[in-house]
Amino acid sequence: MTNKSPGQPPVWRRYLRFWGSNVEADVDDELRFHLDMRARDYEARGLDFDDARRAAVERFGDVQGIGGALRTHDRRRERGRRRHEYMSDLTNDIRYGLRAFVRAPAFTTVALLTIALGIGATTAIYSVVNAVILRPLPYPESDRLVQVWMDNRRTGLKEDLHAWPNYADLRDQNRVFSAAAAYYTGGYNLTTAGCRENECEPQRVRALVSTPDMAPVLRVTPILGRMFIAGEDEPGRDGVVVLSNGLWTRLFAGDRNVIGRTVRLNGRERTVIGVMPPGFAFPTRDVDIWVPLALDAESKQQRSSYFLWAVARLKPGVPFERAVADLNAIGRRLEQQYPADKDIGVHLVPLPEQVVGRTLRTSLWVMMAAVGAVLLIACANVANLMMSRAAVREREIGVRVALGAARSRLVRQLLTESVLLAVLGSTLGVALAWGGLRVLTRIAPEDIPRLDQVRIDLSVLGVTLGVAVATGLVFGLVPAMQSSRAASGGALREHIRGGTGGRRAQRMRRALVGAQVALVVVLLTGAGLLIRSFLHLQRVDLGFRSDHLLTMRLSIPAAKYGTPQARATFQDALLERVRQMPGIQGAALITDIFLSSTPNSTIFRIDGREMTPEEQNVEIPVDATSGDYFKVMGIPLRRGRTFTAADNRDAPQVVIINETMAKRFWPNEDPVGKRFRYGDGTGNAPLVTIVGVVADMRRTGFDAPVRYETFLPHTQYVTSYFTLVVRTAGDPLAAVPAVRAQVRSLDAEQPVFEIASMDQLLSSMVAQRRFSMTLLGTFAVLALVLGVVGVYGVTSYLVAQRTREVGVRLALGARPAQVVRMVVRQGMVVAAIGLVVGLAGALVAGRLMTRLLYGVSPYDIATLVSVTTVIGVATLVANWLPALRAAHVDPLSALRSD
Amino acid sequence: MASDTGDLLQGTLAILILKALVTGPSHGYGIARWVESTTDDVLRIEEGSLYPALRRLEDNGWVTSEWGLSDNNRRARFYTITRAGRSHLRTEATVWFRYAGAVSQVLRSAPSLA
Repeated sequence: MTNKSPGQPPVWRRYLRFWGSNVEADVDDELRFHLDMRARDYEARGLDFDDARRAAVERFGDVQGIGGALRTHDRRRERGRRRHEYMSDLTNDIRYGLRAFVRAPAFTTVALLTIALGIGATTAIYSVVNAVILRPLPYPESDRLVQVWMDNRRTGLKEDLHAWPNYADLRDQNRVFSAAAAYYTGGYNLTTAGCRENECEPQRVRALVSTPDMAPVLRVTPILGRMFIAGEDEPGRDGVVVLSNGLWTRLFAGDRNVIGRTVRLNGRERTVIGVMPPGFAFPTRDVDIWVPLALDAESKQQRSSYFLWAVARLKPGVPFERAVADLNAIGRRLEQQYPADKDIGVHLVPLPEQVVGRTLRTSLWVMMAAVGAVLLIACANVANLMMSRAAVREREIGVRVALGAARSRLVRQLLTESVLLAVLGSTLGVALAWGGLRVLTRIAPEDIPRLDQVRIDLSVLGVTLGVAVATGLVFGLVPAMQSSRAASGGALREHIRGGTGGRRAQRMRRALVGAQVALVVVLLTGAGLLIRSFLHLQRVDLGFRSDHLLTMRLSIPAAKYGTPQARATFQDALLERVRQMPGIQGAALITDIFLSSTPNSTIFRIDGREMTPEEQNVEIPVDATSGDYFKVMGIPLRRGRTFTAADNRDAPQVVIINETMAKRFWPNEDPVGKRFRYGDGTGNAPLVTIVGVVADMRRTGFDAPVRYETFLPHTQYVTSYFTLVVRTAGDPLAAVPAVRAQVRSLDAEQPVFEIASMDQLLSSMVAQRRFSMTLLGTFAVLALVLGVVGVYGVTSYLVAQRTREVGVRLALGARPAQVVRMVVRQGMVVAAIGLVVGLAGALVAGRLMTRLLYGVSPYDIATLVSVTTVIGVATLVANWLPALRAAHVDPLSALRSD
Repeated sequence: MASDTGDLLQGTLAILILKALVTGPSHGYGIARWVESTTDDVLRIEEGSLYPALRRLEDNGWVTSEWGLSDNNRRARFYTITRAGRSHLRTEATVWFRYAGAVSQVLRSAPSLA
């Protein structure tokens, strides 16, 4: 302590008042004054200095205590006063701002619309990103879930399926999962016992067939009843089913007494034991039922039958990397232990990443970046508008400065106005976003997960509000600083060159325009690359005639059609009936027209020839087709023949292969007549003889390479699940009711599902690409329009500022063309700089979106040239029009102006 | 301390302060001195409670304060009575007179004190 007297405040307190009114110092001063005066009175009565002071303090009482109480009181009062002052300033500013907006309706409308567009686009896309990517999956601690894949080094497929023993080993030997479930999805034909008339239509439902571990892995609790438990996964005891909320509502009208009722699935009765909560959708939202996976002992021994997905939950505290290491170690052990597991490893992917694939993620982030750029361009436009307006309001601001408004106070008021503008515009923008989202979710492809959950909720609105305020600050700060600077520089003087028309302001405006042009270039390039990718895809020759084709799927249950013969009879009868229908040019069947990423495939051995180890590992898909499949599809036969009625059950087994397979395994020779065996050659699989070679068809999608194919006659390789392909004379979808009727006349309980024309199928295969292309294209056009408006606006303004100069030039004999050239040249220099910067940015952006491209390089010259041309023409027009106007001013009136 | 002198005394203090300010603005010490001299030192203002009382009056809008210079050229906080303060003083004074009158009446009434 440096102060001896307890009543004296520390010395530094005395200086506190330098920074404005100070509560502490004021209280100290007031009390000290009192004590000093009292002491002086005592001195006057004859006490000496020290005694007088002591007596004064004594008389006063608890100086410290009362001082403290006063300080607390005054501090509170001061805070209240400041808050009040701030709020009343704010109210005044807002009222003032609103009045100013009303007085300038044109400015206000344009600014509000611009902001609304920017914010609307941002809000819409952000709400999609939020629902699809950011929001966690609807399972507790969903970030602890991992998808467990088989890493198949034989096929190079990193995300391949497990065989049961493989899954069981991983489940039992790992030390990192608290639970691991195996599952597959499939379709069931469902009929309800005792249904009412309109419910009796047999229907196809999607099922998740899983081990009982699924409940602890996902930590899901049914809202009614229970999940199936261990023991119910044994054949014979597995007659149970858990319904999705949707199916429960659809089938039982949400009846809470549904538990214990039975439904027929593929002809077999199962008891309903539970109903899932709404919104629960594993692995996809189209799953209607959950049934236990009940394998018999024999199936559980098969190490080479790969059909299971697996999902697991990490133990608490176990990091993902440790799980990867642990599972890899098990994988290596199994590889050494079992010959069947050779070249097979384990691959883990966090479930959230699995659900929303990397391509979709990339494209959504690209969209987000795109709307961000649109918003920035909109901001630049509004900033320019504000600056032009600031020039108009210069006098008004000058008056306020002259009346004593501090510069900081002025900036605050101008910022309040721009934030107010931003918030008003954003309100409009949210309305736009709401409308936009309805369109967006309608045109969006169905395979975007969780798209149905996209909505503008509080978290989205929070972000929008934040962006709106930031936007207001961004486009308001520069103009506010400039007008307040100009104003404090003495704006009441007649402005000769004008504060905001000054050199500094001009440079700022040109910089904004340049930045806009650069952003537009990046967006246009991105959109151009996507459009070119899409066009490339559309030009891909799929290898068949896709017009006038109708497809639908059927699954004939084993309970009803027990023997292959019974199934084949049904298939033949169906084909025969459909072929007889009027307007039908052909009907055929195949297991699957298109292959999923994990097709039903197997290795094979060529008869009478040693295969290289590499060839021995090649897996080929197996499909059953009817003989005229290739004719119906329009796939040319290259060699040999297609199947005939003679290729029946008792005839020698035959096969048709595709060209790619023929070239790879029988180069320089005719494969027709050659024989091979499916499997590793040790089993009892029969030898099949190649009777024909057909042209290649892209069966795994537009952007995947052609694979090897083998087709067996449906009479010799009978599947219970197949696709019916019908070639029609007219609109394929018009034939649907008639074809359905034929199916029903054969078997009234037999559902058909996934009915679609080939055009619809193909369109859905490129739906995600079309979606990103449409969106990015829209944003690019929006950006281009906003950008051109920006360039036009700034040039117009700058030209207007120079009316007098132009007038002088014209009066001195300059020709209008020269004036035009001068104005346009200045504008185009800025545009050119923006273009160059933008092209550099476009190259970076192109690299980031490589994953979304097909058949074009991110540095595609054609795209870059087109973009440069578009930008060049657009900015030229935007500069030329105002220049033209300037060149035609009347020199005399121009000189008189101002 | 102010807290155990009761409502009556607190109200009294408020009346005294307001009365002191009727003739013109004054600082806290001036108020204390005025009361002392006017009552010939019979009523000695509890100085510790003077300032909290002034704050209360200010919060009620009966006085305002601002900084100024005292007679001996020192910086001091001066208090001024407001219009509302004057009217409050009138009301309180009426109450006080009636109260004091009632008490005197009781004391004068028979039987007289021995």
